[in-house]
Amino acid sequence: MRSHRFEFRASLSDLVEGLDVLHQSVERFRRATGRSPDDLSLILFETALGEIGGNVLTHGRPRGTSRPVEYALRLDGDEIVASLTDSGPPVHEHLGREMPSLEHEDGRGLAMARSLLDELGYERDGDLNRWRLVKRL
Amino acid sequence: MALEVETRPADNGVTVLAPTGRLDVAGAPALKEAIGEAVKNSPPKVVIDLEGVSFVDSTGLGSVIAALKQIRKSQGELRLAAPNQQVRVVLELTTLDRVFPYYATVEEALTGL
Repeated sequence: MRSHRFEFRASLSDLVEGLDVLHQSVERFRRATGRSPDDLSLILFETALGEIGGNVLTHGRPRGTSRPVEYALRLDGDEIVASLTDSGPPVHEHLGREMPSLEHEDGRGLAMARSLLDELGYERDGDLNRWRLVKRL
Repeated sequence: MALEVETRPADNGVTVLAPTGRLDVAGAPALKEAIGEAVKNSPPKVVIDLEGVSFVDSTGLGSVIAALKQIRKSQGELRLAAPNQQVRVVLELTTLDRVFPYYATVEEALTGL
C-alpha cells in the first residue's frame, strides 16, 4: 500500500473565495491520495467541511475584525483532518443542536456535520473558536 | 464560484430551473430568486434540474424547502431531478428524501406533471 503525505494551509477572508479554497483543497487531497471522485468517505467529509466552513466564514469574522479564518487540511494515518480557527463569538449553545423537523429551512448544519464525521471537536481558546474535523478514510 | 440558474419553460406550464455550481450558503440566494419568478405561474409546477449542481449544503437545501413550501401553498408541485451522489447523501441524511420526490432525469420528472 502506498503511503501518502498531504498538508494544505490557507488564510480565508471572504465567504465565496473561502468556500472555493475549502473545496479545492479536498480535490487536491483526492488527487494526491489517489482517491476516486465517488469515494464516499471523502464526500461525507467534504459535506461536513462545507457546513462548518460556511458557518465559520459567515459568523467567524465579526465586523471590525481583520483577522482571517485559518484553515489547515492534512492526512494523518488513515484519517483526514481539518482545522479551522475563527474569531467569531463562542458557539457552545449551538453544538448540541439536533436535526430540525422536515419543514424547517435552517439549523441543520451542525447536526449534519456531527453525523458525517468521526470527530467534530470544538474549543474556545481566548477570543478564538478552534474546530477540528476528523474522518477515517 | 457563483451559482448560475437557467430557467426554461417545458410543456404543460412546467418551469425547469437548472442551477450550475455549488448550491451552498453563497449560492442559495440565486436559486431563491429564480424560484420567486417561477412561482408567479399558477399553479406553479417546477422541476429543479440538479445535474449541474456539484455540491449542496444545509443552506442550499433550505432554499429548496422554502421553494417547496411556497409552491405547495399555491397548490403547485415541485420535483427534483438528476441529483449527484453528494446531493442524494444529504437528502437521505436529513430524511428530506421523504419530502422531495427525486427522479433520475428531467424527462422522468416531467412525466405526469
